[in-house]
Amino acid sequence: MSPNLSSTSLQFVFTCPLLAGMHARPASHFATLANSFISECTLTNLRNNNEGNAKSVLSIISLDIRQGDNCLVQINGADEQFGYTSLRNFTEHVLPTCDVPLAKSPSTKPFSLPRILQQVGVACYSGSAASPGVGRGKVVFLNSVSLSHAAISHDATDPKEELQRLKRALRNVRDNIREELTRSGSQTRDVLQAELALLDDVLFAERLAHQVNNDKSAAQAVLETGKFFADLLRHSDSEYIRERAADVEEIAAHLLSEICGKDLPKTVITLHEPSVVVADTLAPRQFLKLDRHFLKGIVLEYAGANSHALILARSYGVPAVVGVKHTKSLLSTGQAIVVDANRGLLFPELLPAVERFYAREVRTLSRQTEILKASASSPAITRDGINLDVGANASAQDEAILAFGNGADGIGLFRTEMLFMEARPPSEKEQVAVYEQVLKAASGKPVIIRTFDLGGDKAVPYLGLAPEENPFLGLRGVRLYATQRDLLQVQLRAILRASVFGDVHILIPMVSCLEEVLAFKQQLKAAKEDLRSQNTVFREDIPIGIMLEVPAAAFSLYQLRNEVDFFSVGTNDLAQYFFAADRGNPNVSKLSNQSSPSFIRLLKRIIDEVGAADKWVGICGDMASDAKYLPLFLGLGLDEISLPVVNIPKIKSIVRTYSASACRSLVDEMLLSSDADINHLLASAEQTCSSHPLLSEELMILDSDSNNKEEAMQEFIDLLRNAGRTSDPEKLEEALWSRELVYSTGLGFGFATPHCKTDAINASSIIVLKFTQPIDWGAVDALGVRMVIGMAARATQNGGNHMQVFSVLARKLMTDDFRKQLLAIDDSATLLSYLSEQLNLGLK
Amino acid sequence: MKIIAVTACPTGIAHTYMAAARLEAVAKNFGHEIKVETQGAMGIENKLTDTDIRQAKVAIFAIDIEIEGRERFNGVNIIQVPLQEALKNPEGIFRKIQH
Repeated sequence: MSPNLSSTSLQFVFTCPLLAGMHARPASHFATLANSFISECTLTNLRNNNEGNAKSVLSIISLDIRQGDNCLVQINGADEQFGYTSLRNFTEHVLPTCDVPLAKSPSTKPFSLPRILQQVGVACYSGSAASPGVGRGKVVFLNSVSLSHAAISHDATDPKEELQRLKRALRNVRDNIREELTRSGSQTRDVLQAELALLDDVLFAERLAHQVNNDKSAAQAVLETGKFFADLLRHSDSEYIRERAADVEEIAAHLLSEICGKDLPKTVITLHEPSVVVADTLAPRQFLKLDRHFLKGIVLEYAGANSHALILARSYGVPAVVGVKHTKSLLSTGQAIVVDANRGLLFPELLPAVERFYAREVRTLSRQTEILKASASSPAITRDGINLDVGANASAQDEAILAFGNGADGIGLFRTEMLFMEARPPSEKEQVAVYEQVLKAASGKPVIIRTFDLGGDKAVPYLGLAPEENPFLGLRGVRLYATQRDLLQVQLRAILRASVFGDVHILIPMVSCLEEVLAFKQQLKAAKEDLRSQNTVFREDIPIGIMLEVPAAAFSLYQLRNEVDFFSVGTNDLAQYFFAADRGNPNVSKLSNQSSPSFIRLLKRIIDEVGAADKWVGICGDMASDAKYLPLFLGLGLDEISLPVVNIPKIKSIVRTYSASACRSLVDEMLLSSDADINHLLASAEQTCSSHPLLSEELMILDSDSNNKEEAMQEFIDLLRNAGRTSDPEKLEEALWSRELVYSTGLGFGFATPHCKTDAINASSIIVLKFTQPIDWGAVDALGVRMVIGMAARATQNGGNHMQVFSVLARKLMTDDFRKQLLAIDDSATLLSYLSEQLNLGLK
Repeated sequence: MKIIAVTACPTGIAHTYMAAARLEAVAKNFGHEIKVETQGAMGIENKLTDTDIRQAKVAIFAIDIEIEGRERFNGVNIIQVPLQEALKNPEGIFRKIQH
C-alpha cells in the first residue's frame, strides 16, 4: 500500500524516537489524541509503507513502527488544523518521554547447577529465569487462554439482539477492569489500562460490529475479531508487540465468557495449597486471578520477558521460569517440585539434597528480607549521627500502605494526578476516602499531598485546554489553578476534611514566583472558611510546601521561605528547565546532567538558603532513588529524600554506612571539580565516605549445621549476601572456589581459611563459621574442620588497613593459644570483642 | 644457622603469612635464626637485604607463584617447596637443611 497523499489533508512526518518502538502506551496516547478531533487521521510507516487508522491503538501497533522509522501523519476534515497542532505537539514533546524500559530477554546463559547439587547428581530441567526467587509447591496445570479451542455453540439470533449482547459484554468487562483498577498498584494498573485501551479501540469495535451486522453471533464476532488481531500482532517483528497478541486473546476470551455466561474451559483455577502453576503461556488476567497466597512459582513453555503476566509476576515477587519444554510429559499434577528462578532451574524430584539445599536457600533469602525490613523501620542515621528522612513516592492507597511496611518515614510525595486522569474529575467524597486511607496507614507519620499537577504531558479532557506550542513551558501545575478554581477548591476541602486523620502536608507543584504561593494561600483560606461555615472540623496548622522545579523559584527563596514551611526539589523537571534540555531527547539529554558542577551548586544554594530560615528541604525526583547520589545529599545537608517504595529498605541501609562529615569534605571537593572528576568522586564515595567494619556479628554463624564443604562455602557467600556486601554472589562463589581448587584452605588443627580477593564484594570482610560437627575439608593434617575463619578482600578497596589485618589474622591462626580461644568462645558478641582486640580493631 | 625464606601464595591474603609464621616458629624450635620475606597482597614486606642474603647459609622458598627479585639470590643455596609444605611439614624442611 502506498501512502494515500491527499492534496487537501494536513500532514507531517516524524521519526519514532522510542527504543521499544511504538508500543502499547504511546500508541494509546496517540489514538486518544486522534480521537479528540473528528477529522480522519491516518498514520503511515514510511519504512514498510504500512498504513493504518491513527484512531486505533491496534492499528498503530500493527504498523510495526520501530525506533528511527519515519512516519507520515495525515489529517483530513473539518477540524484538521486542531488535530494537526495537537498531534505535532505530541510527537515532538510527549512521545520522546513515552519509552518503557524493556526487560531483557531471559539470558540463555549455560545452565549452572549449584555445586552442592552437581555432586549429588540430581535430575533437573533448565529454562530461563524470568522473575527471581525460589518456590516450592505442587504442580497445577493451567490451560492457556486460546481462542482456537473455544467451542461456540451460539447461533446468531437477530443482529440487533446480538449487538445488545455484545455491548453488554463490553460494558461488563470494562466495568470489571475499572473496578479492579481502583484496587491496584501501579504495575497492575499499567496492564489493566492497556486492556482498557484495547476494549475501547475503534478498529476492534468496528470489526465486531461489522461481524454482527453480517449475521454472526456476538460470540462468533468476538472469536473472529480476537483471532484476527492476535494474528496480526503475532506476525510483528518486534517481540514486545508479539507479546501483545496474548493480551488481545485474553480480552476476547473474557468477552466470550461474558457472552456465553460461563468461563471457558479451566483457564481460571483456584489454588488450595502451595502450588507451582505450569502452563504453555499465561495471560495477565489469569495471573491476577491466582491466589497469590498459594502461588509459589510459575513455569511456562513460552513467554517473552515483556509478557504482561511476567511483568506482573516480577512486581508481585512470584518466581517464574520460562522456556521449559515438554512440561506436560515431564510433570504430573500434584507432583511436588522446586522452582529456582534465580538460576532458571526446575527440580522434578524432592531428593533430600535438593530439599536441604533449597530449605537453606529459602531461609537465607527470607533472612535477608527480614534483616532489611527489620532495619528499614528504624531511621536512616549516618555513622556520625546525621539523620536523613526517607519517604515514599506514592500515587495510590495500596502503594502508601506498602510504603509503611517497607519502613518509609512518611509519604514524601503523594501524587494526586491519577485521581484526575479519568473522564470526569473525582468528587470531594471520593478524594476524602483516598486521603483518609493514606493518612490512617501513616499512623501519625507525615503525608505530603501534592495538589493536582496537570497540564504538560498530563492533559485531561474535562479541562478543555487548548493545545500549546510548548506544553512543558505552558499552563501546568499551579499555573492552572487561577482558571480551575472549582477543581482546586474541591481538592483543598477534601484534604482539609481528611486532615483530622493524620499529619497531612500540602505541596504546590510548579511554582515559579511568590505571587503563585500567595494566591494559593488565598484559595486555601477560602476552602477553610467554607468548611468552617459548615462546622466541619479540620487541622488549622497544615504545613504548606512548594515543589522546586523552576529555576526562578530557586532564586526567589529569600522571599518564598517566609511564606512556606518546606520545599521539595523535583530534580527531573528542575534539571530539564535549568539546562533547557529535554531528558527524553537523545540529542541533548547528555546536557541535562545532574552531577555537573552547576547543578550541584544549584542544589547547594537551595539547601543552604532553606536551612538558613530553619525550614526543611527534600528531593523527590529520580535522583533520590539513585544510591550513587547519597554522599552528595548527605554532604549537602539535605533533610529528606522521597523515592519509590521498593528502594526504601536498601537506601536506608546504605545511608547508615556513610559518614556525613566525610561526605561534606567530598562535596567541598566536588564544588571545585570538573564533570568527569565529580563522577569519579561519586563513584569512589562508597570507598572513601562509607565503611563496613571488617568484623561484625552479622558475619558470624556459631552453630552452623553445614555438613560438607560446599554447604559451608554457600553459607560464607550467604552471610555476605545478607549483609549487603555482595551484589554478585555467583562471581564471589567463583572466586572462592577457584582459590579453593588450587589447594585446600584447610590449614590443619580443625581450622580452614577460605578466602578470595574480588570486586564482587563491596567491602572487605571476615567471616566466622563454627560447625556443630566437623567437616571434611581436605586439610593438610586430614583432620575435620570445626571452624572457618574466612577472609574476603575487596580487590580495589582504597584506604583502610584490611590487608594488614588479614595478614595479622593469618599469622595468629598459626598459634595454639589463639585457636584454642576461638574454639572456646560460643557467643558472637564475645567472639567479636576478642577478635577485635587481637586484631587491634577498635570497637566502635 | 642463619636461614632466610620467602613466602608467596596465589591470593597473597592468608597462606603467605601463615607459612611465614609457621617457618619462624619451627626455626626457633630447631635453634635457627630466620628472617622471612613475605610477598603477598601488601607487596614485599620484611624485605631481605643484600647483607641478609650474603650471611645466610640457605634460603627456603615456600612459594606457589614466581617471586619478585629472584636474581638477588644468585649463588645462594635454595630449597624450594610448594607453600603448602611449610604448613604441612615444616619440620621436614628444616631436617632436610640439617643434612
